[in-house]
Formats: sequence, C-alpha cells, structure tokens
Amino acid sequence: MVKVVTDSCSDITPQLAQELGITMVPLYVQFGDETYRDNVDLSTEEFYHKLETSKIRPTTTTATPADFAKLFTKLAEETKEILTITLSEKFSGTYTAALQGKAMVSKDCRIEVIDSQAGAGAQMLLVISAAKMARAGANLEQIADWVRRAISRVHIRMTFDTLEYLRRGGRIGKAQAFLGSLLKVNPVLGIKDGATFPIARCRNRTQAMDFLVNFVRGFSRIEAVAIEDATTPDDLQTLAQRLKDVVPPERTYRSKVSPVVGTHVGPHVLAVSVLEAE
Amino acid sequence: MKTDLADGQTLKEMFASGTAWLEKSAPDINAINVFPVPDGDTGTNMVLTMQFALEEAKLNSDNHVSSVAKSLAHGALMGARGNSGVILSQFFRGLAKGLEGKTHFDGGDFAKALAGASQTAYKGIVNPVEGTILTVLKDASKAAQEAVKNDDVLVSVLEAAVKSAEDSVARTPSLLPVLRDAGVVDAGGQGLYVLLDGALQFLKGESHKIQYRRPRLVVAETELVPRAAQRPTQLETPHGYCANFVLEGQNLNLGKIEKDLKKKGQSLIVTGDDTLVRVHIHSFEPGEILKYATKLGKLHEITINNMDDQYAEFIKMQRERMPQVDIAMVTVATGGGFSELLNSLGNIIIVPGGQTMNPSVRELLQAVESAPSDNIILMPNNKNIVSAASQVQSLTSKKVKVIPTRNIPQGIAAFLAFDYDMNLEQNAQAMEKAINKVMAIEVTRAVRGTRVNGLEIRKGQFIAILNDEDLIARADKIGDVIFEALGKAGAEKAGIVTVYYGAESKEAEAQEIAQEIRDRYHTEVEVVYGGQPHYNYIISLE
Repeated sequence: MVKVVTDSCSDITPQLAQELGITMVPLYVQFGDETYRDNVDLSTEEFYHKLETSKIRPTTTTATPADFAKLFTKLAEETKEILTITLSEKFSGTYTAALQGKAMVSKDCRIEVIDSQAGAGAQMLLVISAAKMARAGANLEQIADWVRRAISRVHIRMTFDTLEYLRRGGRIGKAQAFLGSLLKVNPVLGIKDGATFPIARCRNRTQAMDFLVNFVRGFSRIEAVAIEDATTPDDLQTLAQRLKDVVPPERTYRSKVSPVVGTHVGPHVLAVSVLEAE
Repeated sequence: MKTDLADGQTLKEMFASGTAWLEKSAPDINAINVFPVPDGDTGTNMVLTMQFALEEAKLNSDNHVSSVAKSLAHGALMGARGNSGVILSQFFRGLAKGLEGKTHFDGGDFAKALAGASQTAYKGIVNPVEGTILTVLKDASKAAQEAVKNDDVLVSVLEAAVKSAEDSVARTPSLLPVLRDAGVVDAGGQGLYVLLDGALQFLKGESHKIQYRRPRLVVAETELVPRAAQRPTQLETPHGYCANFVLEGQNLNLGKIEKDLKKKGQSLIVTGDDTLVRVHIHSFEPGEILKYATKLGKLHEITINNMDDQYAEFIKMQRERMPQVDIAMVTVATGGGFSELLNSLGNIIIVPGGQTMNPSVRELLQAVESAPSDNIILMPNNKNIVSAASQVQSLTSKKVKVIPTRNIPQGIAAFLAFDYDMNLEQNAQAMEKAINKVMAIEVTRAVRGTRVNGLEIRKGQFIAILNDEDLIARADKIGDVIFEALGKAGAEKAGIVTVYYGAESKEAEAQEIAQEIRDRYHTEVEVVYGGQPHYNYIISLE
C-alpha cells in the first residue's frame, strides 16, 4: 500500500493522521534557544500561551533532509511506494528538503514528492484525499496524478485582524497591498500560485465571517471543506454551524493551525478551505 | 417675414452674452440651493460649464452655425460640472443635433433645436424630476414652438422662450415641495432662464447693459417664506494660469493694486511696500494682469504657469509611481485625511474635489486616461458628480465602470469590497452591492435659515443629513444633532460605526462622541481623521 507523508503545516490532527495512516513530518518552532517539534513537543494551545507570555518572538525552521531520509528509510521497510505532499515551496524549504531526503535513500522504494502550492487546510484536503485513495488500493502513479490535477481545485480563504505576523515572517507576498491601512480592517487572503494573495477587506470580524461563508456558498460542487482557527474556538463553532447546510458535517474537517503556521498568521486567524469536486 | 438669418458667430455671441449675464447671477443662484449646506454650487457650476463651451467655440473659426453648435456642445460636455452642468451640456448636445448641417438659422430652426435639446436633456437623466431646470427647458421650448406659428424671426422666438422660462421658474416651488418648504425657486432653472435672457439681450443689441445691471432672481408665484441673508460664496476655479511677479516702482499703492487685481483673478496675494510688490494671482488672462502692472513700474521674476498643464503633470507623476495593474481605481475626495486614508487602502488616483468643488468631466477623464490600466473603476463620492462621472465612459477607449458612490463612506465601502481575485464586471457588481450596505450621516452648520422636511432651521444651527438626501435633525449642540440623527438612522442595527472628524473638529470631541455611541448602541466604533472642510462630522453606519 502507498504510504502518504506530509509536513506539520497541513494542520492535520494527530487523531486523523492515525486514522488515515498519514505520516507527519514536523517543522520546528524556536523560542530563542528552545526548539520544539511542531505539534509534537508543542501543541497549538501551549504555543499561543507561550506566545503571550514569552518575551522572545518565535521563529520557524524547515524539516531537514535528514528528517525525511530517516523517515523514508524506515517506511521503505513496509512499502515500496511513498507519496510526500509538502507545504508550498514559496513558504518553506521543506519541499526541497524532502527532495534532498529522497536522494539520500538507498532502499529499493519509489518516492514521489509533490509541492502542494498551498498550506494549512488547503494542503490538508489534498493529503486526506490521497490517503483515502491509498487505503482504497490506488497505486503511486494514480494518486500522484490525482493530486497534481487537484491542486488547482483547492481554494483557501483566511481572515485576520492583523497582517503583522505575516509581514514579520516575510510571507505576506502580494498581500502587502493591504498593509498600512489607516482604517481598521479584517483582511481576507488567499493562496495563489503558492503564495499569499490579497482578496478583500472587511470592516469587522462579523463581515469577515460572512465573507468566508459566502465564499463556500459560491461553489456548486464541493468534495470537502476544512475549517481552522487558532485561539477562537467559538468563532470556529459559529462558522461550522453556518456551513452545516452547505457541506455535510462528515465532509467538513475541523482543525487548529499548527504552531509553525500560527507563528506566521497570528492568534486570530480563521480559515476555510474548499476542495472542488472534479 | 425673414429679416434675420443668424450664423455661427451670432450663436457664439448669444451665449457669450448669456454667460456674462449668468456670471453676474451666479452668487444669487448659489445661494438658493435647497439644502443650506456648503454644497456644490449650481450657479458656479453652470458658469464653469459655459466657460468651457465658449472656449471651445472660440477655437473654432468656422462660421457655420452647425459647426459652432457642435463646438459648444463638445466644450460643455468636457467642462460639465455638477448635475446642472451635465444637463446644460445635454441642452447643447440637443441644440447641436437640431442645427446639424445648417450654415444659418432662424427662429424656426432655433425652436426645433430647443425641442431637441429638451428631449435630450430629459433622456440623459435617469429619474427626471419636474420643477427643475428640465421643466424650465421644456416650457421654454414649447413657447418657442408656439411663437414660430406667428413669426419665425429669431429674436421674437427667443423672447417668447425667455418669457416662458421666467414663468416656469416662478412655478417650480409649486411643483417641487422641497423648494416650497425652503422658500426658493429652482437654482438650475433660474440659471437657464438667465442664460437665455442674456442671449436675448445680445439679439436685441442690449448686451452692453449687462455691464451695469444684474439679473434678478425670479419671484415664486406662490407666497414664500422670507429668506434669511445669503451666504457668501467662496469658490476658486483651479484652472487658467498662475502668475507670479515682482513689481518695482515708486509710491506704489498696495491697497489700490489689490483692489484692481481682485477683479481680474483669484487666489490673489499682494505683499511688499511702496517700492517693491510681490504678486501672486490665478487668472484666465495673465496678459491683462501684466499689462496692468507694467503701467505701474518694472516687472521682475515673472513666471506664468498653465495650471491645466501642472494638473496633467501631477496626474502623470501619480501614474509613474504606480505599476500597471489589472484594474485601476479613480476617485474624488477633499480633505487631507480622506486622501491619506484612501491612499492607505491601496493604489488609487484621487481627483481633488467634492461638495464645494465638483471636478469637471475633463478632469475625471484625465485621471482615467492616466490610470495605470485599461480597466477602470470610477467612484465619484458625491451625488453631484455621479452624472459627470457617467459621461466619462463614452469619452475614452478604456473600459470604465462607474460605481455611483454618493458620499465618501460609500466610496470607502466600495473600495474595501474590491476583490483582487475578480474581474472588472464582478468587482463592479460587488462594489455596487457594498454601497447599499452603508449609511452616511453628514453633520454641518446651516449657512442660512430655512425650512426643510417641516423643520425650522436657524442660521448657524447644526444640521444632520442622511444619505445626502434627508435633513433629519437640527440642534444647537453638536452632540444633540448627532444622537438624534443616529436614532433616526437606526444606529442600533449597525455592526460598525465610523466617525470621520473634519478639519474644524477636534479629535478629543470625536472620541467622546464615539464613546457615547459605544455606550448607547453597544457597537464597534472607530474614529478616523477625515479632514473634510465644512462638515464637522461624517458618520458611516455599516
């Protein structure tokens, strides 16, 4: 059976990963000298608590080629086919690290590495579908082919109360057009060609929530939806409630942004991702 | 009996005379705007529109009436300011159509052309309202057609039209309740009557009299409430030439120089002593200024700049700062705060203007042409600029969508709704939708006493206007007027309230008002510096 691997920026919960047989490779969060494995040594709740109390600003680093090489070598003992789906190469060196890790593996095993050109919930939806295909018996070519075609069908919208975290971490891309507003706004961003992209601006959280709901309503055929928050579970609950009639709950995945993603989006992010049906 | 076949030169001089007459009436016409707010001034807008029309006609050396009428129409269109200006430009368009192909014209031709002008003007307005300039034009045109049946001499036909226009102006308050309440006749109608009356004086050989007299306001047929004192008009046309020089002489009389030059231009500054005087002035005829000054002494450091060029240069500079984009945005704003605010929200070309100064079609067109894209979204941000903005669409090869924003809060809401992921049509739709979700309350002081919506208003009282249309509150204290207006506008339903404080207001006062809004309505409130002139506060409810 094909083994599906992804990095921690896909925000897949440990329970879901275990359930679907997905192997997670953590990125790293650093508070000064302290290094934590994303979602392994540090949960999202712990991270945001630390963010509030620590004077040190966290930074993030990619998973290393050695991390991937070690993992691939271990997995090669149980399978001959590994599919790895990473965070957009424009956000992180993880994709490159995975390719380098693949080159270091001497075992007889075919390894495909795909850049999801996305992150967070959008990456999550690709990985979940891939894992389900693997369990259904599809081979590496079939799954890899499906993922590559599906990349253009995943769409993410994230709303923030500030773009400061994104700017500080250098991941703001074209959304810098939204910086410097003299009016308080809740920007909505998407990911386009692997990078953050400005979409629209709302005057407050309520309007931003409406925007997300209307965004999902705009699709005629939806395969799955992922919704995420960081520190605002009530908002996530409201969003889930409002989407209940648009997408069946069994095809709606709820999660929290990982500490690494959280470092760059800040505590008040609310995101929704849609995988359009073929 | 045909004695007077008039040519293009006659038509030119008729309207030159009419414009001179209108110019004299402009302050009175400005003063009878229905709302006692420092508004886009109807009289000034009509004069400015006519000046563009005449300028264009002057450049045309052809003496055929058809050609001159076309020039007038083109000039009026390019210079159209405010609603009255746009209707005036449609009047000339209709006139040009009626006189097409003719070298000369008589009363019959003129009557026909007037009828066409009336039709064109009605068609150009989405919701024509009776009791306005449109009605006056229609009545004048009817009278002209009647007159032709007896006599098709031009002067007789025009005389009938003018008489009928005057009567029609007098009837406007009985057709339009808002005029009756305010105790005034319609300003645009009055302007048209004066324009035609001035043209008639030329035909009668009496245009020299214009110099010494002044048009009177038509007295309404119905008995009107006595009006309070008129407000002073202060307005400056931003175009023409900016002249600067130093005058060297002996026993120079600063006071007299200032007095003499005041008649020749605007933005006048005269400083210095009796031997050296520095002069700064804006004028359409800088030659006249220099001729005057050379009589008094020697001139030094003479600079004369064409302000139109400067403006074009300014627009060009703005463009060079901007990379080409898929969709570019053009808007209109006054107030340092609003300009900064709009700029902070993204790349946008701002044409200076608003309530007190409606930009012309040409200024809007220039901005559109200079914008770094072939797809343009144009937001006029003022109800009196909406129709001028609509004219731009037919004058450029660029694709222009006008979002009919009637005030700055609507403009900001539309701008924020702009979605970078959508195309021009989709964005225009989304932005139009967004403007319907915002209400604007504008707070200012009444510049004269009046009655509107059954409210008795004293000069100097604070008044609040909802969505540029309804005067909903008045009070002596600014807080009272704001909270009465918020109550009437249904502030309890608003998700977010933004308080834009003007150039004459203090931030501390704005913060106090904001806190009280939060306490009373439990809603999000943001205080932002708008820096707008005249309006103490503009409050948006979303």
